[in-house]
Amino acid sequence: MSELALRSIRKTYPGAAEETLKGIDIEIASGEFLILVGPSGCGKSTLMNTIAGLESITDGAIVLDGTDISGVEPKDRDIAMVFQSYALYPTMSVRENIAFGLKIRGLPKDDIEQEVQRVADLLQISHLLDKKPARLSGGQQQRVAMGRALARRPRIYLFDEPLSNLDAKLRVEMRTEIKKLHQRLKTTIVYVTHDQIEAMTLADRIAVLKDGELQQLGTPKEVYDTPANLFVAGFMGSPAMSFVPVTVAQGEQGLYGEVIGDDGARTALPLPAYLADRVGQTVTLGIRPEHITQPQDQKNGQALVTTGRFTIEVTEPTGPDVIALIRLNDTGVHCRIDPEHPVTWGESADLMFDMKKVVFFDPDSGLRIPPQ
Amino acid sequence: MTDATRSGLRLSRIGIYAVLLLAALVYLVPLFVMLLTSFKTPLDIRTGNLLALPTDWTTVGWSKAWSSACTGVECEGVRGYFWNSFKMTVPAVLISTLLGAFNGYVLSKWKFRGSDLFFAMLLFGCFVPFQVVLLPMAATLGKLGLANTTAGLVLVHVIYGVAFTTLFFRNYYVAIPDALVKAARLDGAGFFTIFFRILLPMSTPIFMVSLIWQFTQIWNDFLFGVVFASGDSQPITVALNNLVNTSTGVKEYNVDMAAAMIAALPTLVVYVVAGKYFIRGLTAGSVKG
Repeated sequence: MSELALRSIRKTYPGAAEETLKGIDIEIASGEFLILVGPSGCGKSTLMNTIAGLESITDGAIVLDGTDISGVEPKDRDIAMVFQSYALYPTMSVRENIAFGLKIRGLPKDDIEQEVQRVADLLQISHLLDKKPARLSGGQQQRVAMGRALARRPRIYLFDEPLSNLDAKLRVEMRTEIKKLHQRLKTTIVYVTHDQIEAMTLADRIAVLKDGELQQLGTPKEVYDTPANLFVAGFMGSPAMSFVPVTVAQGEQGLYGEVIGDDGARTALPLPAYLADRVGQTVTLGIRPEHITQPQDQKNGQALVTTGRFTIEVTEPTGPDVIALIRLNDTGVHCRIDPEHPVTWGESADLMFDMKKVVFFDPDSGLRIPPQ
Repeated sequence: MTDATRSGLRLSRIGIYAVLLLAALVYLVPLFVMLLTSFKTPLDIRTGNLLALPTDWTTVGWSKAWSSACTGVECEGVRGYFWNSFKMTVPAVLISTLLGAFNGYVLSKWKFRGSDLFFAMLLFGCFVPFQVVLLPMAATLGKLGLANTTAGLVLVHVIYGVAFTTLFFRNYYVAIPDALVKAARLDGAGFFTIFFRILLPMSTPIFMVSLIWQFTQIWNDFLFGVVFASGDSQPITVALNNLVNTSTGVKEYNVDMAAAMIAALPTLVVYVVAGKYFIRGLTAGSVKG
């Protein structure tokens, strides 16, 4: 397998006022599964197309296994891509679709037949080989598209939102299959998606993009637990992280921040000691739904844990949890509550705040305040 | 639904079909008269009713029109000119359609700076009246040494047809996802491989549209034929005109009609054979397979 380095990639479309990619630096290790994630228009698809060679870069270098390939034609880059629309050749059978790239590269007939069979077995599509793509279901087309990419044994695989045309159930199934396939084949994969759950579940590392700039590059856990800024924090996670402005105050038992609920009741939330130099200042508290739960006995008395009574505005049962909306300092905040601990909207309930994993942001710069 | 509204619906259906049937009949009458007349004897034509069936069915008109009617000085029927028309139409249709397919491919999948402007200007070609180009074209054909030849006529029709065929293919290819071309490029296919292996095999419906359109246009053309061809290379439209205008005593309407039918038959056949693709091709952009 191969390693890929993107060095200060810049891209400006002809006639465009603004850069689409503003200097992207990413190193992708051999066998790594990297996911590019971001809202639409963030430049993730453009970045992928530049790796494939379908679009040129204005500045920077794309280095594959030590060779700069920025000026190389797509067909000579030895990169395969799976498209969102699958892009299967409609007039060819599944077999011909998979064999097309091999034929063009002039492989002997027997080798092609063998390779098609290997890929078909791998993806369990042997029984479909003689069908035309139009006769296949969405999931089957998806498999064929992956088969076409796998058949060439390229150095890098690119996936451009490959699951977004599938229905929800199939999407989850194929997600698992892609993960299994990667674990088995140890291929280097760059995968574009706008679905943060796909990114969390599949990636070795996630690159979060916004407006053509890399916001954060890290493992799913890093990106989820220690988001670099407000954008990353709000983008990863569902329901999203809530942001509450709190003023840091010095109390007898350490730092605290006061939050006011719907009914005007005040609750002091304990804050970590690293905010000591911000006493008197307002910071943005980033709190995930799982940090606010029903009271849990085993957490009683722990540091940075407190309880308060708040009015439940809305409840959304999801099955494993109930997502409840409360209001802190005039900001809607989601809580994740055990369905065995019923709460009713319009009534108040005791909630436990676990402040050990919450994050804080500088309200001016939007950057996370790192623990010292 | 009550019985009353159902019968009302049925009545309106019947009304619609009646009107459609009437319209179809009105349009079919000339063809009907032509066919009947071509099988009548001259005597029958002079004495009988226009819409009446022939008293004696005869194919004399047809055989005379085919092989012995006079078109000017010569009296060898339209046979030779019929083949002339084929020799002109078939290459002109094929060349203009292939060129159009290729143009459409470039203008939709390999856009270059100014390609949209280029396409817009090419479209002007669809609106240039035939008469405007007669003199410059005659001069050009003369310089090329193609004056009064079938090759010259083919060239004229190809040039004129490319605007239309490019329009057809470009609009058809625009609806085909770019991802197909991208996938093929990553698979290692080049410019021509993508065209011949991926796009052209998908083009049957629009190919038929172009084929029918071009065949009808070129086969039925009279003006270019009468101006740029002479004598041996004249197409059947010109010969038909000459045949009708050559009078030797009595006007032989049966021969005229038979000759006209012969001139019209190939386009009819093309439409019957490829017609289902024509409709499909014209609506192809809206539903992708």
